[in-house]
Amino acid sequence: MISREMAMCRAVLENNRLLPLFARFNIRLGFGEKSVEEVCWINEVDPDFFMEIANAYLEEDDIPREDLAHFPLKSMVKYLRATHTYYLEVALPRVELLITQLLNQPELSQKEVNLLSGFFDDYKKEFMQHIFQEENEVLPYILELEKQSLPDQPDPEFISSLKVYSISKFEQEHDRLEYSLENLSRLIIKYLPPLENQELCLKVLAELSDLVKDLVDHANMEDRVLIPRVSELEQQVLSEKKGP
Amino acid sequence: MNRTGIIVAAESYLLRKGVVSILNRMPGVSVVREFEALPALEKFIQTRKRDLLVITYTLFDQSFKQLFNEGDLQDRTIILTHKREWQGGSGIPTIDSDDGKGLIINKMQALLDAQVPGPDEDPLLTLSPREKTIVRLVSLGYTNKQIAGELFLSAHTVITHRKNIGHKLGIKSVSGLTVYAIVNNIITLEELSSNPV
Ligand SMILES: [Fe+2]
Ligand SMILES: [Fe+2]
Repeated sequence: MISREMAMCRAVLENNRLLPLFARFNIRLGFGEKSVEEVCWINEVDPDFFMEIANAYLEEDDIPREDLAHFPLKSMVKYLRATHTYYLEVALPRVELLITQLLNQPELSQKEVNLLSGFFDDYKKEFMQHIFQEENEVLPYILELEKQSLPDQPDPEFISSLKVYSISKFEQEHDRLEYSLENLSRLIIKYLPPLENQELCLKVLAELSDLVKDLVDHANMEDRVLIPRVSELEQQVLSEKKGP
Repeated sequence: MNRTGIIVAAESYLLRKGVVSILNRMPGVSVVREFEALPALEKFIQTRKRDLLVITYTLFDQSFKQLFNEGDLQDRTIILTHKREWQGGSGIPTIDSDDGKGLIINKMQALLDAQVPGPDEDPLLTLSPREKTIVRLVSLGYTNKQIAGELFLSAHTVITHRKNIGHKLGIKSVSGLTVYAIVNNIITLEELSSNPV
């Protein structure tokens, strides 16, 4: 467990599983004696939100835990965005590099190479399309909605647009990105021929399973925290603006 | 195959973590969802299939019970009781706080084994036989039109099937479906044409 008052440097030294979070929250190292809370404020991160995510990571609890529902949507959107960037700039390229190496293994037939490379190309396209849509349509919509829900900012145009678009549209078409990766792991473990370069295979599998785990948390946050919160807010905005 | 639908519901943190740590030691079980209160659990349970629900007798009240049919309760639920206080019965398996390790593991394992899914088959994502046929043909390189001809369906019906498949699996591309088909034994690698998909 980490707490507000704890020195951030101690929190990290004792829990190296926290390391990936710093990139996600855009928090720089070099903490000195500063506490968890101070470091958060300096980096413009809501400390409660940070601790919620960090402790969920440490306890291997499912993200989201129920408490996550109380944070401003803005914090959540910021975190989701940082996670998207992490996927596109770090995680996916890392997997891609390993897959490229896998394709060069002499034991694989042309058919297997085609299957793998076609699979990964399409997956990457779908992945980018998925994130692109969230970044450019869904998340901006959510930020706007939260802004409009503040008392003295009624915008009749936004209200009427609510009748056309709502988060339920996104909910219906929101796919899980991890299933295909799980299939890829199974393909490698069970159906491809045994490879001399065992180390490479194990690396690919470890990388895939990390990404799958991360994607599950991410999608759960979108599906179970974000979407319900947003649809609640939509109802609230609609009913307030209709009022007397 | 990991069982993805195991749920543990208990108010007490200690109890919950205890049950989870036992479940995590059982073969093939690696994903467990935890709940400490009813509202979130009810919501979750109504939208997802599950393999097993382990729940304390205190959370398992009448209105919660209404959400399930009898068979569901007997095959996929275990009630956690304390000092054998709970007599809600009707054939639902129980584990008591006084039960020993072996008994607890046996009871849970028995329930899990009773509904073991086929090899590599994900119970949450099961396709109908018709959908499997379509996935098979897609993987073999058939176009929607060719599939319609082969199965005596309208093109429109094939498109609807493909949409549903995409939704169930979260996979839309032909190459993604092909890999799905291989790892679920719908086609073999040998059957694939060597041309790039
Ligand atoms: Fe996302
Ligand atoms: Fe998403």
